[in-house]
Amino acid sequence: MQPSLHVRSLRPAVASDRTTTLDLLITIAAPAIPPEQEALPRPPLNLALVIDRSGSMSGEKLSYARKAARFLAGELTERDRLAIVTFDDEVEVLVPSQPVRNPQLFISAINTIHSGGGTDLFDGWLAGAMQVANHLDAAAMNRVLLLSDGEANVGVVDSSEIAGKVAGLSQRGISTSAFGIGKGFDEDLMGAMAGAGDGTLAQIESPAQLADLYASELNALVKTLGKKVSLGIRAKRDVQLLDVINDCALTAAGNWQLPNLRYGQKLTVAARFLLPPWQPNREIVSLRLAWEQPGGHGRRSFVEHITLPVMAAADLEVMEPDLVVIEQFELLLANRERSLAIEELDRGNLRAARAHLEAIDQRLSLLPQTEAIQRERLLLEQKKALLDQDSNLSRKRLRRESLRSSMSVWEPDTDTSEGA
Amino acid sequence: MVKPLAPSASSDPCTPEASYGLEELLAIAGERLGEEITPRTVRLYATEGLIDRPGKDGRRAVYGQRHLLQLLLVRSLARRGLSLSAIAPLVVCSDQELQEQWQQLNDGTPSSRPPEARSEALAYLQHIQTSATSSAAQPSSLLPLLGSPLSNRSPSSLRTSRTGSRSSASSSRWHRFALAHGVELHLSESASIPPPGSRREAWLQRLIDRLREQLDQPD
Repeated sequence: MQPSLHVRSLRPAVASDRTTTLDLLITIAAPAIPPEQEALPRPPLNLALVIDRSGSMSGEKLSYARKAARFLAGELTERDRLAIVTFDDEVEVLVPSQPVRNPQLFISAINTIHSGGGTDLFDGWLAGAMQVANHLDAAAMNRVLLLSDGEANVGVVDSSEIAGKVAGLSQRGISTSAFGIGKGFDEDLMGAMAGAGDGTLAQIESPAQLADLYASELNALVKTLGKKVSLGIRAKRDVQLLDVINDCALTAAGNWQLPNLRYGQKLTVAARFLLPPWQPNREIVSLRLAWEQPGGHGRRSFVEHITLPVMAAADLEVMEPDLVVIEQFELLLANRERSLAIEELDRGNLRAARAHLEAIDQRLSLLPQTEAIQRERLLLEQKKALLDQDSNLSRKRLRRESLRSSMSVWEPDTDTSEGA
Repeated sequence: MVKPLAPSASSDPCTPEASYGLEELLAIAGERLGEEITPRTVRLYATEGLIDRPGKDGRRAVYGQRHLLQLLLVRSLARRGLSLSAIAPLVVCSDQELQEQWQQLNDGTPSSRPPEARSEALAYLQHIQTSATSSAAQPSSLLPLLGSPLSNRSPSSLRTSRTGSRSSASSSRWHRFALAHGVELHLSESASIPPPGSRREAWLQRLIDRLREQLDQPD
């Protein structure tokens, strides 16, 4: 089973007598899980759950964290490994990595977690990573799940340094998901870690959502078709790649790093090119999709060569643009431009931040009001209203939404959580 | 996810039923755990129901393989920070389950011959770890700490040992500093260190005086 790659362009051709700005929507689709595979045992999981127990976690948050961890231990089987690590300004390996033969063992350990001091997030992550690395299994999904409610204030605290280390480990087969809980976590750091870690970013405002998150994470882990997914976009001679709207991180080879691909899932990438007057049958761009299949079968890839019909600019202009392409470009741009609002927020300029959100909404209002567009406008409206009430929370949600283009972002059922 | 039923414990491990006196039990457990176990500990565990009551041979208490396993498990779990009440449900189970739990606990170390990928990830993490700890081991690290609340200080200057230096409950945390070869300072988080200046000097002088008294004491 392998993913497929589809391309749609804004207009179905490029101009023969003029430069063309070519908007290309690239969809990577994973097939639904094949029935014969569904009958097979899922890949084993090799996880470390790293739980922040800093002082701010005390009370409801820690109690839900324990409850959700108990749920996680209960869902795993003896084919899976689990380690439990907690940290404040000290790191403690509560249960070293071991097969989950007896969930009670983990549950008892989880029940002993009490809140303490500062937040040595990096060392906590490192200890969890060690536990996974000790038993790294190419046939398993190897992942660190980091749950924190605070900003790293002890140990390594620089977010790009931490993300760099996380990326290095991801290259070596262990991914990292970062879950921020409450109002005090550093959404930029958590986003950077999950992005670099080839894992999931989650922001949980109510601790009651933790169990849902863990269930969704487990489900995603066992339904992974491809990890370390990357897209190479090679513009042919004379073609200029103007922009990739997704703001993905680049791999060492200069490819765009995409989130993990689950069975039945679609990823969308929007790229804009500039072409000189073009000749028929001339290749415009080649796309190379590469991924790693869980189970240790090595890296796989395929290449698609893209050519488009060529016609006179005057004929091209009267052709109807593809509304789906427009919509997807606008949605991805809306994610990107949230970062501009965040920048203004960080400068303390609430008015400019609001202006950015209004500008996005203005553009979306000109499109056909599909369900996706309406939902997006509602999200923007909520963030805008939140700016005055709770700009911190607004910033967190804006950050989460801005990262949807480039990584796996957990989104709870919106009807309960987005009730601002 | 459906959890398969655990394999039934029908096949008992055929360990020959050993029997030990209290002294022997303490010696064997002490060796396996690398720590000294006192008779009092064993009695406490027995009263708490963490270890089965010993058998009797005349007036002498006799312990078997099961008692040994229970003791090993309880100590190992307690050392990981589990409270006795959390441990209690874990040690009331079949001999085989006890054996399995004990093996699992000792399974935390990497297996003897790691495949290449594993060793690569491990080597990477170990490199990160050592590069962080080596900077933490500066003996001069105490000085820059003084005068700010301990909890805000970076651990690179705080900690000489990475884990393990937490020596009591979270309410009164202690930090260790190696001052010289064989000399350590333990500093509680609740210790208040005066700001630099004359008050700091007077405080240090009092400490030196206290230390001198200790050293000069006969005996």
